[in-house]
Amino acid sequence: MTDHVGFSVRRVWLIAGNTFTESLRQKVYNILLIFALVVIASASFFAQFTFGEDIAQTASYELKSIKDTCFGALSVIGMLIAVVGTAMLLPNELENRTIYTILAKPVRRVEFLLGKYCGTVLLTLVSVVLMTLMFGAELVFKETRLVADARAESARQAIPTDAQQLAQQIAKIHAAAFDPDIVKAVLLIFVKLCLLAAITLLVSTFSTSMVFNVAVTLLVFFAGHMVGIARDAWQGHALLTYLLGVLPDLGLFNVADDIILGNVIPWAHVGKVVAYGGIYLSCVVGAAQLIFATREI
Amino acid sequence: MRNRLLAVVLLIAPAWGMQPWHNQILAERQHLKYGGAPVTRELRDRIGQGLAIALLAGFRGVAADFIWLRGQGFWEQRQWFKQSECIESAVKLQPQSIFFWDVGAWHMTWNIAYAESTAPDIATRAEGIRRERLWHDRGREFLERGLQNIPNRFDLYYKLGWVYYQKLAADCGGEPACQQARYRKAAEYFLTATTYRDAPDYLGRDAARCLEKAGDVAAAYQLYCKLWQENDPHRNAYARPIIQREIRRLENLLDIPVAARLFPMKPVAP
Repeated sequence: MTDHVGFSVRRVWLIAGNTFTESLRQKVYNILLIFALVVIASASFFAQFTFGEDIAQTASYELKSIKDTCFGALSVIGMLIAVVGTAMLLPNELENRTIYTILAKPVRRVEFLLGKYCGTVLLTLVSVVLMTLMFGAELVFKETRLVADARAESARQAIPTDAQQLAQQIAKIHAAAFDPDIVKAVLLIFVKLCLLAAITLLVSTFSTSMVFNVAVTLLVFFAGHMVGIARDAWQGHALLTYLLGVLPDLGLFNVADDIILGNVIPWAHVGKVVAYGGIYLSCVVGAAQLIFATREI
Repeated sequence: MRNRLLAVVLLIAPAWGMQPWHNQILAERQHLKYGGAPVTRELRDRIGQGLAIALLAGFRGVAADFIWLRGQGFWEQRQWFKQSECIESAVKLQPQSIFFWDVGAWHMTWNIAYAESTAPDIATRAEGIRRERLWHDRGREFLERGLQNIPNRFDLYYKLGWVYYQKLAADCGGEPACQQARYRKAAEYFLTATTYRDAPDYLGRDAARCLEKAGDVAAAYQLYCKLWQENDPHRNAYARPIIQREIRRLENLLDIPVAARLFPMKPVAP
C-alpha cells in the first residue's frame, strides 16, 4: 500500500520529532549529557600552568588546556550520544514491535528511516549546542578570573604595571579566550557526529543487536582516524589507496587543535570538509535506505 | 539482492569519486600546516599505547597536554632526560604550539643547564661548565627547530634572541669575537621579531642593547633614534623616557656634536 503513497517531508518531520522526544527520555542520553557538561564545567581544574612569562602568556596556556579538554569532551561524548542514540533506534522499534504499527500506516520506509535519522541528528545538534554553551560559559568564567588576576598582580607589583600595558594584557587574554574560529571546529565536529550516526544507521539496517551496531561504528571511528596514516603507508599501492577511500577520513574534521594553537582555518577549507562529509553522509544514508527497503521485518 | 548490490556500489562510489577532492583537502591541510606528526610506530613507542589510542581517536591536544604534564613530573623529580623526552614528544604531537617550544627551551637552557652544572656527580667545575653549555646548545637547537615549524610568529625569534643574549654570549669564555658575534645574532633575532605586528615594543630596545654589546654602538644609537621616531606616545608612553635616556647616554658615549644630537639639552634633574 505504502508504495502508492507519495514522499512526504511532513511525515519525516513528525517521525523525527517523535524520535527526538523519545531519545530525550532515554536515561543513557541524559547521563551522557550530564557527564559531558560536568567534564566541560570542570575543565579549568585540569589547567594549572603557572610559569608563563607574564600573566597573559600563562592565561593563553591555561585557556589552551581548557579548550583541549572541552573539545575532547565535545568530540568523544558527542560521538557516544550520536552512536548510542542511533544504534538503539531500529532494534528498539523491532523489539517493541512499534515498527509494525508505523509501517502499516501510509508511511514509506524511506520516510521512516529518514525521520529516525533526522531525529538523531536533532538530538546530536541539541547536545552539541548545550555542550558548546557550557564551553562558552567556562571560557567566560576563566577569562573573568584571569582578568581579575591580571589586575591584582599589577596592583601587587612594587612598580605597578602601566595602565596601557595592563590593557594590552587584558586584550590578549580576551583574544585568547574568545576566538571566533571555535565555531568552525564545533561545526566540523557536528558534521563528523552526523556522519557517524549515519554509519550506525547503516549497520542497524542489517543487524538486530545494539551492541554490534555500536561496536562496528567504533571500529569505523578508529579506522576513519587512521586513514591518513594508512594513505602514507600505502603510497604507491593504487588499489589499496582506492579501497581506503571507502572509509571517510575522519582526521579531516579535526581542526580544533589547529584553531586552539592559533592557526587560521579559512571558511573555504571548512566548506570543503563539510561538503566532503555531506557527500559521504548522503551515500551512507542512501545505502541504508536501499538495504532497509527490502529488509524482512 | 539488487538493492544490496546497489548499496555496495553507493558505498564504494565515494572511493572513486571523492579521491581528487580528498587529495585537494589534504594538500590544503599540508600547505596550511595543520595537524602534527603522523602516528608512526616510533611515536607510538615513545608515547605509550594508551595515548596512541587517544591520538588515533583525534585527541591530539589532550594527549600532548598529558605528556607535557608528565614531563613536569619528571622535572620535579630532576629526571632531566625523561623530561626532555616528554618535551620532544609534546612538540612532535603539536609542532604548532608556541608554548611547548618556548617553555621546553626554557627548561633546557635555564633549569636543566643550571641543575646539570651543579649536579653532585660532577668531578670538576670544567665538567659542570661543559654540561651547562651542552644544554644551552640543546635549547638553541630546540628553538631553531621550533622556528622551522612556526616561522610566522614573533615569539620564537624573541626567545632565540634571548637565549643568545642571556646564555650563549656568556658561553664564549670571555672571547670577544665570539661574544660579539653572538650578541649580533641575538640582535638579529630581536629585530626579526619586531617585524611582527603583535610583538611587544621592548624587543626593539633589546635589539639595540645587543647591538651595543656587540660593539656596534653607532647602530644601537641609530636604532634607538628610530624607536624614538616610531614610538607612539599614546600607546607606549611608558617607553619614551627609557628611549630618551638611552639616546642621551649613547650621544655622550659617541661624542656626537651638539647640533647633530636628537636631545641636545642635558636632561634636567627631577
